[in-house]
Amino acid sequence: MKSFRFVLNLTVATLIGGLVAVGHAEDGVTKDEIKIGSFGPLAGPVYMYGKLAMNGLEALFDKVNQEGGIHGRKLKLVREDDACKPEGGIAAVKKLIYDDKVFAINGGGCSNSTLAARPEIVKAGIPFVVNSAVADGISSPPTPNIFTTQLTATIESRAQLKYALEQKAKKVALVAQHDAWGRSRYEPMMTALKEQSIKPVSDEEMTIDQNDGTAQALKLMQTGADAVLLIVYPKPAAVLIRDSLKLGYKPLWIGQTAIQDLPQLQEQVGIPGALEKFVSIATIPAHPDDPEMAEWRERIKKLFPNDALSVFNLMGIGSGMVVVEALKRAGADLTREKFLKAMGSIKNFKTGMYPGPITCKPPASNQCNQSVGWIKFGDGKPKSAGVTTLD
Amino acid sequence: MLVLSYLLVTGITTGALYALVALGIVVVYKATEVVNLAHGELFMMGGFLAYTLHVMVKLPYVPSVLLAVAGSFAIGILTDRVAFRPLMKEGLVSVLLATIGISFILKGVARVLWGGKGDYLAFPPLVSPEPMRIGNVMIMSQQLVVLLAALAVMLVFAAFFKTTRAGKFMQATASNPKAAALVGIHVSRVYMYTFGVGAAVAGASAVLMAPLTLLYPDIGFPLFIKGFAAAVLGGLTSVPGAIIGGLLVGILEQLAAGFIGTAIQDVSAFIVIMFALIFLPTGILGMRGTRKI
Repeated sequence: MKSFRFVLNLTVATLIGGLVAVGHAEDGVTKDEIKIGSFGPLAGPVYMYGKLAMNGLEALFDKVNQEGGIHGRKLKLVREDDACKPEGGIAAVKKLIYDDKVFAINGGGCSNSTLAARPEIVKAGIPFVVNSAVADGISSPPTPNIFTTQLTATIESRAQLKYALEQKAKKVALVAQHDAWGRSRYEPMMTALKEQSIKPVSDEEMTIDQNDGTAQALKLMQTGADAVLLIVYPKPAAVLIRDSLKLGYKPLWIGQTAIQDLPQLQEQVGIPGALEKFVSIATIPAHPDDPEMAEWRERIKKLFPNDALSVFNLMGIGSGMVVVEALKRAGADLTREKFLKAMGSIKNFKTGMYPGPITCKPPASNQCNQSVGWIKFGDGKPKSAGVTTLD
Repeated sequence: MLVLSYLLVTGITTGALYALVALGIVVVYKATEVVNLAHGELFMMGGFLAYTLHVMVKLPYVPSVLLAVAGSFAIGILTDRVAFRPLMKEGLVSVLLATIGISFILKGVARVLWGGKGDYLAFPPLVSPEPMRIGNVMIMSQQLVVLLAALAVMLVFAAFFKTTRAGKFMQATASNPKAAALVGIHVSRVYMYTFGVGAAVAGASAVLMAPLTLLYPDIGFPLFIKGFAAAVLGGLTSVPGAIIGGLLVGILEQLAAGFIGTAIQDVSAFIVIMFALIFLPTGILGMRGTRKI
């Protein structure tokens, strides 16, 4: 009878213990697996920010898993396509949170879709680390569960102006697209200019499909601008630089991350030596062909035989490294709360992918990447032109 | 004065781009009374065909261009056989909708085939990439090539419609397909070749313009809009009107950007379409709306 009661008590205790354990289990975490979700465009004109960043993340997870995982758990990537559209972002995030039940999300390829998905992410309280989207509104005002390892539009705009002033520019001009993407950078740029009491000598507009920039170049030349801040995509940038060279006008051009493929920009302009006075912000200062990237070239080739390592892969890898570090710090008894606390503890973490270290400062700021790397074009290839770290 | 000279010369050279696009739209409209909304995408496909042959396969320039034009012609014929011909009996609205469908399909195909090769692909120019001086104004050499090509294509088509039997068949078919069929013209064949020729013009234009416009899967529609504005302004049925319309749209754009503000540059084409439709519905050189009995 005693032994029967003992077995009964043991069974009840085990069941209660099991129920308690189940009650505390986090979504997406089992004893041997952690599910991490990602969303972004998997096809279409800007698939690079989604699919390629996710390919990079998968290559990183593959490496981590080969090395034994994190506290014995393997990482599993769950991908969702948001088609770079707001409605796609909301649907993708809901599916990741409620259907796929991932532990955390590391993604966000497009600003508009990620901005649209933010309220759902905030409501669910799921940890989210942005790897590609740049809009400030995603991570600001700060919320406890959203971090970004990407430069934001405000950081880039401020860095562009800071660079111009460091180069002793006397007359600063601005050429911007006024679409949603351009506005997200133009407005912080105007705020930064106002803070410095600088009035741009010329404030011109271009569109993404513009085929000629002569009118803009003439206006810039007439005002004698010696530094031009570019808030445009590569095509208008190429057209403007080409038509400025046609006029013999050669200011200091200061670009941002949309124009960071300088060999391609040189081809697009088509005139030899066109980029002599051009600098731009690089998300990833290393070039995919650099010797130190050999390991990642091989890993991408192994998993995705048709791909060559790209900057977009590296963006996924860099952000994933921060997530992996936080998972390690969160310990074996993994909860979302511990993960978020671990994200907040990351200071001066060097990934080797970003120009500077990653430092998160919650609750004041979860924008963990404040270092802007500069690149210029010389001897037929991109070269580092220093790092600007914002206060 | 120098600024005005630059704006006018740039307007003419940019307008030549629009004129070449407008020419293709007019050629198809003249024969079929259909505005081919996929014309921009046919242009894009022609450019990518040339890119594939010249840059990727490394064929010499001239064979690449000829093959790209032939390929564009074939795509034009294919779109007629697959989409337009089966719908011609259903009326112009159905065909118009089909042209929208074709434009999406071609864009999707281009994204799959060439979308992963970079954001905006550069295509080597036919002449030196350095600017050249004409009077006191510097222009890009390739812009001059485009301008001359637009004039040459215009002359060829003007002669084609005026002097050749095929050109007259096309005009007769557009004017009255039933009457054309009654006098023995193979109407569906005329339509087929018209779409083919329109696509070939788009392909040839793309090769000339690609060094200036760059290549990407979404290039078609913005250029189509400018070309359509030019065609509407010049008169949808007039080949010389397409050239005049193109040059005017180009010049208006530059003057608006130079003297009003660069913010208005891109919308000026839409303003042109609006005013042309209100005040000049048949365009500068288009046929008047009266029907001959």
